[in-house]
Amino acid sequence: MSWGLQVSAVNLHTVIKLSPMNEQALIQDAQAGSLDAFNALVLHYQDSVFNTALRILGDEDLASDATQEAFLSAFRSIRSFRGGSFKAWLMRTVTNACYDELRRQKRRPTMPLEPETDDGEEMDSPRWLADPNMSPEQKAEADEVEHAIQHCLNNLPVEFKTVVVMADIQGMDYSEVAMAIRVPLGTIKSRLARARLRLRECLQGFAELLPAAFRLEEGTSA
Amino acid sequence: MKQRDLELLSSYLDGQLSPSDSARLESRLSSEPNLHAVMDDLREARSLLRRLPSRKAPRNFTLTRKMVGKNPPMPRAYPAFRFVTTLATLLLFFTVGLNFLAPQLASQAPAYGMGGGGGDTETFAAEAPAEAPATEAPAATAAPAAELAPLPTATLSAEDSGRIAETPAEKNGLSEEPAVSDAAQAWNVAPFVPPAWQIVLAGIVVVGALLMLLMRQSAISRWRQKG
Repeated sequence: MSWGLQVSAVNLHTVIKLSPMNEQALIQDAQAGSLDAFNALVLHYQDSVFNTALRILGDEDLASDATQEAFLSAFRSIRSFRGGSFKAWLMRTVTNACYDELRRQKRRPTMPLEPETDDGEEMDSPRWLADPNMSPEQKAEADEVEHAIQHCLNNLPVEFKTVVVMADIQGMDYSEVAMAIRVPLGTIKSRLARARLRLRECLQGFAELLPAAFRLEEGTSA
Repeated sequence: MKQRDLELLSSYLDGQLSPSDSARLESRLSSEPNLHAVMDDLREARSLLRRLPSRKAPRNFTLTRKMVGKNPPMPRAYPAFRFVTTLATLLLFFTVGLNFLAPQLASQAPAYGMGGGGGDTETFAAEAPAEAPATEAPAATAAPAAELAPLPTATLSAEDSGRIAETPAEKNGLSEEPAVSDAAQAWNVAPFVPPAWQIVLAGIVVVGALLMLLMRQSAISRWRQKG
């Protein structure tokens, strides 16, 4: 079946762009049992889902596992999707997968979150953060910013972290976040405000490491 | 900083406040430097988070048939059919079992409650073969006697022959009656569950199983075509 999709492949990573009409058709076909239709949705949303898992869990391997688990769970329960934001529905699935993983970690704590070299030393600029289009300085700065933010995110309570990841990193609006994690809108506002304040306080500890990033924000207004 | 003010500032940054609330907050911001400082902090945190580079997924997370299992997704009505068919099957077995046990329970009931009404089945079974030859013997002799009775050359009178003819019949009747009535009590007791119900249940089981089979086959063929 053809859904009129725009598919492009960069190396092994496939990207699918969907219009709302295409998405609706794909969802309906997936609900009827089409694995191809569901996989088209996977290709469209896998970056968002993976990024959400990565920011909540702070580890690429765990995030990959949670993403795969989330898509598997989503396929099995796609008949329960009754309309609304499919992205929010997927985010709920991946959030649940992340919570399961965090519970597992609590029961049996395992490895450090930072990747290591072959010698067992922690990598300063891990390979998995590298973007080939950046200059070395930009890369170093981006790495530092990302490290600092991830560190501060890891220190947030998971319910705050989930809200801030969805709202500020995924760019979802309040109602989508409320739908994804099934809490009232007022709770979303409250958690987001407190999470932002805590992050700001935490990031102040990295001000010397991240001068450029902070300077960029000075003197801006709403 | 009050929690309420913090929420107002955060929502204001996201453009989630009503125009009147925004205007009120803006007038406060111009007169309260502390409030303004907190808003700057929130804005910085929000801006940093939004600048966080979006990462590409390290691989494609598409699913294979093996991952999702071989069973195709069944139609929505499938679980309902499965439930009804299973329930009907269980009820059918239950009613068959109940009807099978009913005569035995009925035959045991007098021994416990009625006091000498029928006796138990083992006694009856042991006595029945012993009585049968005794009743058959007079019946065999009675028939020729009855045929001979009207003949004038008979040595017995008609009254005698009639009496002889009746006696075995009476004996026969008396001797067979307990056997038939006890057997009826033992085996012809009305079933607890009417057979019509069992037929209906059996019908539901058969129809349900057939429909489930058809649904399954249809889902598998659709699965093969689409998936």
